Amino acid sequence: MEIKAYISRIAESSGNSYAQVFFSRNKLFALLLLGVSFIDLYAGLSGLLAVVVTIITAFLFGFNETRITEGSYGFNSLLVGLGLGIYYQPGLEFYFIVVMASLLTLFISVALEGVIGKYYLPYLSIPFILSIWIVLLAARQFDHLGISERGIYTLNELYGLGGSRLVAIHEKINNLFPVSLRLYFLSLAAIFFQTKILAGILIAIGLFLYSRIAFTLSLLGFYTAYLFYLLLGVNLAETSYSYIGFNYILTAIAIGGFYLIPSVWTYGWAILLTPLVAILTISLDPVFAVFKVPVYSLPFNIMVLLFLYVLKFRTSGKKRLKEVLIQQFSPEKNLYYDHNSRERFDPRFLFSFRLPFSGQWLVSQGHDGEYTHKDDWRHAWDFVIEGPDGKTFRDEGNLLSDYFCYDKNVLATGYGIVETVEDGIDDNDIGDVNLIKNWGNTVIIKHAEGLYSKMSHLKKDSIQVRKGDTVKPGDIIGKVGNSGRSPYPHLHFQFQATPFIGSPTLYYPFGSYLKYEDDRPSLVNYGIPAKGETVANMEVNELLAKAFRFVPGQKIRFTPDAQVPLKGFLWEVKTNVYNQSYLYCPETGSKAWFRSEDNIFYFTGFEGKKDALLYYFFLAAYRVYKGFYKEITVTDSYPLHLVYSKTQLILQDLLAPFFIYLQADFELKYTWMDNPVMPARLKTESVARTRRGSKRSRKEIRFVLELNGTGIAAMAISDGKNLMKVKCAD
Amino acid sequence: MEKKTFEPPVIKKLNAGMPSKFGMTPRIEAIPEIEGHKVKDLLKDHGSPLYVLSENTLRSTYRQAYQAFSTRYPKVQFAWSYKTNYLAAVCNVFHQEGAWAEVVSGFEYHKALKNGVLPQYIIFNGPSKSYEDLKTATEKGSLIHIDHFDELYMLMEVAEETGKKPLVAIRVNMDTGIYPRWDRFGFNYDNGEAWEAINRIMLSEKMELAGLHTHIGTYIMTAQAYRVAASKLADLAVSTERKYGHVIRYIDLGGGFASKNTLKGAYVPGTDTAPSFDDYADAITGALINSAIKPEHLPLLILETGRAMIDDAGYLLGTVIANKRLASGRRALITNVGVNLLFTSFWYEHQIHPAEKVSQHTEDTTIYGPLCMNIDVLRAAVDFPLLKKGDHFVIKRIGAYNMTQWLQFIEYRPNVVMIDTQGTPHIIRRREDLDYMTRQEELPDHLKNFEL
Repeated sequence: MEIKAYISRIAESSGNSYAQVFFSRNKLFALLLLGVSFIDLYAGLSGLLAVVVTIITAFLFGFNETRITEGSYGFNSLLVGLGLGIYYQPGLEFYFIVVMASLLTLFISVALEGVIGKYYLPYLSIPFILSIWIVLLAARQFDHLGISERGIYTLNELYGLGGSRLVAIHEKINNLFPVSLRLYFLSLAAIFFQTKILAGILIAIGLFLYSRIAFTLSLLGFYTAYLFYLLLGVNLAETSYSYIGFNYILTAIAIGGFYLIPSVWTYGWAILLTPLVAILTISLDPVFAVFKVPVYSLPFNIMVLLFLYVLKFRTSGKKRLKEVLIQQFSPEKNLYYDHNSRERFDPRFLFSFRLPFSGQWLVSQGHDGEYTHKDDWRHAWDFVIEGPDGKTFRDEGNLLSDYFCYDKNVLATGYGIVETVEDGIDDNDIGDVNLIKNWGNTVIIKHAEGLYSKMSHLKKDSIQVRKGDTVKPGDIIGKVGNSGRSPYPHLHFQFQATPFIGSPTLYYPFGSYLKYEDDRPSLVNYGIPAKGETVANMEVNELLAKAFRFVPGQKIRFTPDAQVPLKGFLWEVKTNVYNQSYLYCPETGSKAWFRSEDNIFYFTGFEGKKDALLYYFFLAAYRVYKGFYKEITVTDSYPLHLVYSKTQLILQDLLAPFFIYLQADFELKYTWMDNPVMPARLKTESVARTRRGSKRSRKEIRFVLELNGTGIAAMAISDGKNLMKVKCAD
Repeated sequence: MEKKTFEPPVIKKLNAGMPSKFGMTPRIEAIPEIEGHKVKDLLKDHGSPLYVLSENTLRSTYRQAYQAFSTRYPKVQFAWSYKTNYLAAVCNVFHQEGAWAEVVSGFEYHKALKNGVLPQYIIFNGPSKSYEDLKTATEKGSLIHIDHFDELYMLMEVAEETGKKPLVAIRVNMDTGIYPRWDRFGFNYDNGEAWEAINRIMLSEKMELAGLHTHIGTYIMTAQAYRVAASKLADLAVSTERKYGHVIRYIDLGGGFASKNTLKGAYVPGTDTAPSFDDYADAITGALINSAIKPEHLPLLILETGRAMIDDAGYLLGTVIANKRLASGRRALITNVGVNLLFTSFWYEHQIHPAEKVSQHTEDTTIYGPLCMNIDVLRAAVDFPLLKKGDHFVIKRIGAYNMTQWLQFIEYRPNVVMIDTQGTPHIIRRREDLDYMTRQEELPDHLKNFEL
């Protein structure tokens, strides 16, 4: 790699290390914090040195690059560097100690990651505490290290820097705020070992820019502690405690908004935990006083780790305090993604199953049915076919063959292996039931561990699979019959967790299918067809299937029609180590994460620049079913932060843990196809629009996607003002 | 008490309930009303004779047919056979139900466009497409089914001229084990002609071979013939994919399903012998699913069912003009419905029902139409109730072909009424008049005047 690239990566990793102190990866915040750290020049230098040494060492050791880049290894060293820089006078010996301490911090970080990482716990700032204690305790023997007096005599220093005017300004600023707020700023400043209120104000501003939720939580944590101390009769304003104010702030941010999805519950716990942190702080203080070392952020670390660990032992109630699964390094993003994905996906269901037949069938008994779908067997379906006159049979219905569903093919619902086959049971006459072999002729297919599908009452001798056969969706299993406890021909279908005939049913939905009302289809995604509903599988259109397949390694190049104020006309399809696929735009560094299944394509997230062409494609093709149906409208909703600008969201951000009033809607229609048998081109029209409650905003972006045999042929974007067009260049 | 209708007395050999070799003499039921409308009211309102179509029956028959196929096969498409009945109202009922259009002439093609069918949903069949027809269809992107090599060559010229690749299928004829074998349409499968046509199309690279089409005959009484046809087309599709890597997108099994009318000379009535949609569907889809076609390349199945789709929905209402005793002593009934309006009476023993209640007494009768021509016979011999002058009657199952093959001979063609799903009758084709009949005529100046 080029030197330049190395430097830029070290710079990025270092920047993130600064922001990581507040759980952030916000570049602006990082710069601000860097600036704050240099309020004390030597401490700032020492901090930077520690970070850079750590990052370079981590890269040389070959630790996980993502973790290095996101600043996870650097921030503890930064704190150690800053802490030492404040205590000691600069000098060659001192910088040597800083380098050594940085190495130690890195090692502790990595080791701790190995030890508690497997419990999915973060090491927070424990590496910092351990290594700074070690160095402080040892340093008493190092005669050449001079104790610094900076930071103790604030006014003196200010006078030295800017004379009496600066002192006056300082006093003025100081007096601007009530005592508690001053203390709040000082606590924030203390996180960076700063003693000046200005540092605290700057950090508070940065915190607000980074996250409104984190900012609110910092105030919440601090003031709860302040009140608690008042209640106990202790004045937090006394200096000995001011350094530990940040424990409450950090705990509130960590629990209230970072490791858990911010909500009324996390806010509540942020308040409840504060007295505990206070008790910890007060009780630990005399213990560490023996060794003459400060407690630092130990109470915060203990409390947060304890709480997060305890949460993992819950067996229910996980919806109230919800752990963040994919860390976006922003409480808002975590919240909006979570809110959005709650609307879009059910994480319990990873497999998309087809309906086990072809054509339109009617659910004659659904879940919790009135006849037999009860108790352990309540999650089952009975399917029949309804004729044009609403009857399920022709003539009198006295013969099996009068029933429309009789003798129709039963199809495999997903990929799997045939687990159990029972055949040879006679089909009953109409009205009779066989209570001895009540399931009748049955096939059970294993789709995954603990996930089987069962089809029952099949026609005698119609089963076309054998135990051990592999099947794929749509393969013929057998034919609908009337064997077992079946008075008239129908298909009994259920999912179950065990491979036996008679096993209890399992609640599991079908993937995406069409539901017909008055002969008009609508789309259902991961649904449980209910009694009385007419449902059918969706047929995949070859152009849509091809265009939205996106094979890793594929490159897609566009040319703008005219001057287009967008960037990034070359995309690559990539897959990361977690098998997540994304479209990558090298020019802007933007990524659009997607999933492409048999009959559906959808984006799961976007990161990068909003003036990238890729961003507009993300909006335009947010969810695409791969079947061409003019009658249907695909709807979905975007995570708010990917559609609204930061300023538009300020108020919503503050309220988001309690109440979300903004909406960003996606709608897509299949509008045109050149011919239905061998389509060469087709068009979809989609729109992204914002909404406040039920009030639609006038602002919307409309898209037309045109596909041809090679993929996306063209895209037109119109936001009301501009019409932008791009064409595929390949 | 209701006044009984007078029936003239007849002398008839007593046949004391003994069945003949054809079984019991069928009793002919009266059809006093159609979809809630009295026959006599319909005739009073719209004149006699009168065609009546039931929108309900059209839609429910379509749905039955569609369901029979779609619950057995994942991709099914019907195309409405225009030649069976191309009245716009009829076509649009089927288009509303989702059927594409299947046309066999330039006129029908333009009629379909006029009905509002998008060109990509029109299948252009038939042996006599003109160069202009092919050019239009190519430019508009319709599906062209090639019937013979001369058409294939002509289409290559069209492709060159227009610079567009027409979307084509070839029509294939074959031995399906039935008689008569229709070998005048399309390319023969059994002697390799069809395979040769496919090769020429594929090698020419001037057109896109989208599908394969056959139409094995008409009024096919056995579903097995379709099984053979579907397998043979599937074989061609597999060979094409093997040789060229080209996937055949659709297989069109044409039409030919029998309706429930009884063919002339049949021993048993059509209601007992005609296979159901399910029988045909089972044979066709079974053959395709069990063929060597890769499951992921299963072609779209197109059906051009005409007769079986509409026959039941049509009624022809008429009035008795006179009773007559022939020299042979046979009873003859002269009606205002003749072969001009009931072309299908050349093929079928149409069931004719009195519109009013009648007694059980019948007499062997010949039923004639109004034409001044000897061939105008609706039924040569039928045990028929004793209708009088002015009595009304209903002929069932006449929806197919009669409104396209009708003759304009010495009479105006009558009103055609469709009873909608709410029960309201609509005139969908107005009775002809002198102006209509003479509109296209030109009279040279020297013939304008004459003196008698």
